[in-house]
Amino acid sequence: MVGMYFLIKQSRMKLYIIITVSFFAFLISGCEDKSVPTPYEPTPYEIEIPFGFPTNLNIPVDNPMTVEGIELGRYLFYDGRMSGRTHPDSLMSCATCHRQERSFEAGVDHPDFPGGFPHGLTGLQTPHVMLPMINIVWNSTGYGWNGFLYPDNPVEEMRNIEDFVRLSVLAEHEINGDTTTVKELFQTITGYPKLFEKAFGSNTITFTNIERAVAQFVRTLISSNSKFDKYMIGEVQLTQSELNGYVLFTTEEGADCFHCHGGFGNPLFTTHLYYNNGKDTEFTDPKDRFSITGDPMDHGAYKATTLRNIEVQGPYMHDGRFATLDEVIDFYSHDLQVSPYINPLMHHINDGGIQLTPTEREDLLNFIRTLRDDEFMTNKDFSAPDKFPDEE
Amino acid sequence: MNTFFKYTIIASLLMTIFTITSCCTSNPEPEIQSGKLKLEFTHQIDGQEIIFDSMMYTNEAGNIYLVSEIQYFISDVTLHKNDGSTILLDGWEDIHYVDTDIAESGVYALADEIDLGEYNRLSFTFGINEEKNNTLMFVNPPESFMFWPELLGGGYHYLKLNGKWINELEQVSPYNFHLGIGQIYHSYPDSITGYIQNYFNIEMPESVIVISDKETTTLEIIMNVENWFKSPNIYDHNQWGGDIMQNQDAMQLGVENGWDVFSYKTK
Repeated sequence: MVGMYFLIKQSRMKLYIIITVSFFAFLISGCEDKSVPTPYEPTPYEIEIPFGFPTNLNIPVDNPMTVEGIELGRYLFYDGRMSGRTHPDSLMSCATCHRQERSFEAGVDHPDFPGGFPHGLTGLQTPHVMLPMINIVWNSTGYGWNGFLYPDNPVEEMRNIEDFVRLSVLAEHEINGDTTTVKELFQTITGYPKLFEKAFGSNTITFTNIERAVAQFVRTLISSNSKFDKYMIGEVQLTQSELNGYVLFTTEEGADCFHCHGGFGNPLFTTHLYYNNGKDTEFTDPKDRFSITGDPMDHGAYKATTLRNIEVQGPYMHDGRFATLDEVIDFYSHDLQVSPYINPLMHHINDGGIQLTPTEREDLLNFIRTLRDDEFMTNKDFSAPDKFPDEE
Repeated sequence: MNTFFKYTIIASLLMTIFTITSCCTSNPEPEIQSGKLKLEFTHQIDGQEIIFDSMMYTNEAGNIYLVSEIQYFISDVTLHKNDGSTILLDGWEDIHYVDTDIAESGVYALADEIDLGEYNRLSFTFGINEEKNNTLMFVNPPESFMFWPELLGGGYHYLKLNGKWINELEQVSPYNFHLGIGQIYHSYPDSITGYIQNYFNIEMPESVIVISDKETTTLEIIMNVENWFKSPNIYDHNQWGGDIMQNQDAMQLGVENGWDVFSYKTK
């Protein structure tokens, strides 16, 4: 009986010790971060900030960039089945218009869109020509010529690149598709469900995840290796003509481009802001900046585009009225139009423009050409994949 | 309940208290008696809040004008006491950007805890002093959009005051009243032989500024825009034209007129 008593007592002691230790384990764990196991482990992707570029990035918190997301986004960006159709005549992807060799614009030499005026599968032309799709991870003031997609838009589904993907699929003048058909089509294509699982943790394809993947890829399209970038870090010298052009670019008494288009202190070469730059005297476009803000001073105002790679990104202005950079510079030099809505930064307006001499015109052009980044336009990371997932 | 069980309960309670206090709370810190300062910037012409883009104002030179936007930096915010002592707030680095197109930029909540008491004056640098004003120190918008080209001296605009006036030909003409580093030209506009630092100190009129314990004192800092063009120099847009970044004589007038551009009141 005594032995039995000690056995019971020992068991109780063990029980008390177990209870006590468990209790403290519980308490301590309550004070520490709980690590919840994740169902999938995508590889975080960090954007390398080029010299002088902003450190603030426009990446939504619900769509962090991952290697897997970007890989998937690249496939989708180039896959004509984004139209939701499979007939060869009905394929359309982002890359149908956004060509890498034209810095992800159509370009005036686009084989299907003469002059660089894109139209959708229905044949309807887009209301405006294309904007440069480069370095837009640094755009926080609005996407589109009038900035209709912006981060604090009260309409939640009209805020960022993700929304642009959806709108492009739906737009009559672009893909003219529907999101359900598109996601269901990709669900049936061998290889895609697995890529979605790797990127987003589920092999059930949603259109939201399609948007996210494409947006992630687009955010990697960074151009920062032009001759001017190398000049900024002291690797190369500009020619005398390019330097003369740079002086014109960054002086008020010269061409005064820098207030809207940046320079050494703003190497994005845009403010991403909206200006009436003196193109017209009457304003009938229902999609100008005024249509977004309601501010009368925004009549005829549009986003200042980046001048990086601008040499290959024609046609120019929101309506593509100029096919060449020469025409653009001639416009700023002699053909500005006076209106009550002209931006005050256009202080040469009453002279008709900046009045460049032929030599100055050539110098300015030569400087602008230093913003061309050929490495970006041939970078394999941004090119069409050799094979799509179902072709592997 | 046997003795061992009681000891176990007591030990558990003691360890619980120890664990909770050591893990989930911190030691109370000694209470510091201090307050804070917040500056709220407003912009007026002739004592009234500006109606932007309205051609309804007349400056001292008789120019009829409008204002579209105002963007500027202030730095080195300092409180002064009667005994001559001063407190430089938020340290050496802090530079605040004000932009009439960005509402939140109109509030400058200084981070420093300030000793309690009465102060009799506020001063600050308009713009950025030479030591701080380095190109690419702001890489993020909107401050980065204020860069001042390298050729013209580098760093950042102190001020962009953009608008339009009716010129002598009765045309509506844009003006860009921009202040920053000036240039000395050997032969205009190509040969620059030196630069002139145009930042200047704003000494606000004496007043009583009380910093109270655990409270934030808010001052309304008013830019009286007409004073840029008024005293001691009458600034005429017809004389100086639409752009002055490469015209030190014009910028100098602005610098000299800046002394009474700002006023303030406790809110």
